Amino acid sequence: MRKFLAVVKREYLQRVRTKMFIIMTILGPVIMVVLTVVPAMLFTMKAGEATRVAVIDQSGKLYERVAESIMRGDDRKEASGDKNFEKNFNSNAQERVKGAGAMMKSNYDVRQALPGNRSLDEVKKELNEQVLKDQLDGYIILPPDVLENGKVESHWRNVSDVVTRGQIEDRLSRAVVAQRMAEANIDVARVDQMSKPVEMSAQKVTEGGSEKDSGGGFYLVLAIGILILIMITTYGQIILAAVVEEKETRIAEVLFSSMRAFPLMLGKLIGVSLLALTQYVIWAITFALFALYGVGAFSARGADISLPSLPVSFYVYFFLFFILGYFIYATLYALIGSMVTTTQEGGQVALPVIFLIMAGYYLMFPVVRAPNSGFAFWVSMIPFFSPITMLVRIVSQTPPFWQIALSLAIGFGTVVLLIWLASRIYRVGMLMYGKRASIPEVVRWVRQA
Amino acid sequence: MNAAASTLTLAGVTKRYDEFVAVNNLSLAVRPGRIFGIIGPNGAGKTTTIRMIVNITMPDEGRIELFGQEMNAELQNRIGYLPEERGLYKKMKIVDQLRFFGELKNIKGRAADEAIDRWLARVKLAEWKTKKADELSKGMQQKIQFIACVMHNPDLLILDEPFSGLDPVNVELLKEVVLELKAEGKTIIFSTHQMETAEKLCDDICMIDRSRKVLDGSLREIKRSFGRNSVALRLEGGDAVLDDKTLVAKVERHSDDLEALLAAGADAQALLKRLVDAGARVSKFELVEPSLNDIFIAKVGESE
Repeated sequence: MRKFLAVVKREYLQRVRTKMFIIMTILGPVIMVVLTVVPAMLFTMKAGEATRVAVIDQSGKLYERVAESIMRGDDRKEASGDKNFEKNFNSNAQERVKGAGAMMKSNYDVRQALPGNRSLDEVKKELNEQVLKDQLDGYIILPPDVLENGKVESHWRNVSDVVTRGQIEDRLSRAVVAQRMAEANIDVARVDQMSKPVEMSAQKVTEGGSEKDSGGGFYLVLAIGILILIMITTYGQIILAAVVEEKETRIAEVLFSSMRAFPLMLGKLIGVSLLALTQYVIWAITFALFALYGVGAFSARGADISLPSLPVSFYVYFFLFFILGYFIYATLYALIGSMVTTTQEGGQVALPVIFLIMAGYYLMFPVVRAPNSGFAFWVSMIPFFSPITMLVRIVSQTPPFWQIALSLAIGFGTVVLLIWLASRIYRVGMLMYGKRASIPEVVRWVRQA
Repeated sequence: MNAAASTLTLAGVTKRYDEFVAVNNLSLAVRPGRIFGIIGPNGAGKTTTIRMIVNITMPDEGRIELFGQEMNAELQNRIGYLPEERGLYKKMKIVDQLRFFGELKNIKGRAADEAIDRWLARVKLAEWKTKKADELSKGMQQKIQFIACVMHNPDLLILDEPFSGLDPVNVELLKEVVLELKAEGKTIIFSTHQMETAEKLCDDICMIDRSRKVLDGSLREIKRSFGRNSVALRLEGGDAVLDDKTLVAKVERHSDDLEALLAAGADAQALLKRLVDAGARVSKFELVEPSLNDIFIAKVGESE
């Protein structure tokens, strides 16, 4: 036990002190901020200067509405905070860019270009010059028949600013639609009210009666799956390197003359895991501080954000299966480390582990549709998939306790078995330096050692 | 020699890897306070034997007894082992490494720190204490590995090719240390394929060749009982005498000297007399004990 702790201590202290670890721990949240906050900031930065737009109104009756619509910019999307957030949660990248654009404070400076008695071409020529001299950013031509066929022409210095163009297009059409309604004597406010969409709330049926469930549990499982994936992709390599280290430096024989292989292997695994834990706790605290700030900001805008209200037992399961998921894959890396002689070699062999994690991840979709099917039962018993599939079953339609317990028992049993196997292969492999083990050799080593 | 009087006893130990027999029915006894050499060419089974002694692998057959007990994990703490395959953690400070190795042998805290300081000073590396291993030369690293193997004050020391790769100054230093440890009453097992080194250090030896024991016992007795005497000579003339097969079995000529292996039953005194009578000028005449190398070659030749 003392020797096991010595190994844990060494693994942890040696790694936690490395510059690489310190830099990554600090840089992690910075990168997170850079990837999320900075693009949003960049969008808002544009708003610092008003976009100057000239409007040539050939219809003669739209300018007022258009100017007001563009400058005031009360897009319906911008106003509906809560709905918008939900939609953004799983919208695709394109929509998200649009959404981010919508969040920026639109700032437009609209003026009317009066043709007087000049021809359209003369006016365009003059406006073009202004655009080129940077006195104007672009102009819009509302043709006389704009109300009938809704075709509008626009000219810009920068045509790649899709956000601005999209916004102006939206606001223009709102102005045009409003004008059409006004001409047909339709009350815009009543139309708005009448076209309000349906909001469906979902209630989960449980033994305690119906309770509100926004499906947040499912998102939590998704998040846990992603967390396992991220942790394994970052820490799997480190575990592998830790296991290979004594082989590369040829220290293994000294270690084995002092302790058994199993506590050594377990010590390495725990030491590196504590390292991962340290990093993630630091990140989580940083993130929580940001999130607190963010949630505050959203709440101020009337958004209803809170952790999904789930029974406490669920959070216990989340924790247990998360730990299981991490260790199942971490021990696979340790196993690979025990078979190879260098870290580089291990990196190649480890690729299938990532596929295995991905497979577990995709299995959640068939399982969520039929959480009590035979298929769902079996995949939630397979240790490499159970951390995700069993959690999906728990949040969607909680299976009997014995199934959860069995799944956990199989999972943790597999972890212990894998560590034992890894330590065995490691020990025999160490006695024959210099070559990677073939599968039949490994099988023989396990039997004989 | 009974088991109680020995630090270590191997009785009928056999180890196989698949079809390959690495150690075949090996029995030996290591007496306390002596330097015991396990000698043999590369691949003879020395390292496998040692790995069984330090409890890394188990023998397939036979028994190993250490300090009067059946081999077990507890006993590992009383052994210091310097394997042939050795290294250090590259990015770890010397003092941290030694503390770690100490902890693996159940020595920690102040006791460990004292031992580390004392030993670093002894091998003249005190100023390297807080340096990382990859800043040290190969020879320095080897001395650090040696410290890792002795710092917990083990009763049995096992050194596998401890001098390979060291410069002569450091070889001398380590030899001195080994002899000091012997004087303190430690038992030392020393494995090598270099016969000359073994000859200078060992009290007892065990020769292994192709997984079998060829010979064992006290070095002095082995040499005495090995009845092949030869004579180192430097002389002018007397060639006819040396060609007499009843007197000289074989002549080996070196640059300046020659070595004459006496024929069975021949007397060195008689050879000297014949040479002087024949008018040869003898500037050197020295009886030479057979070297371990000679004994080994003779023994291996015999067993074939």
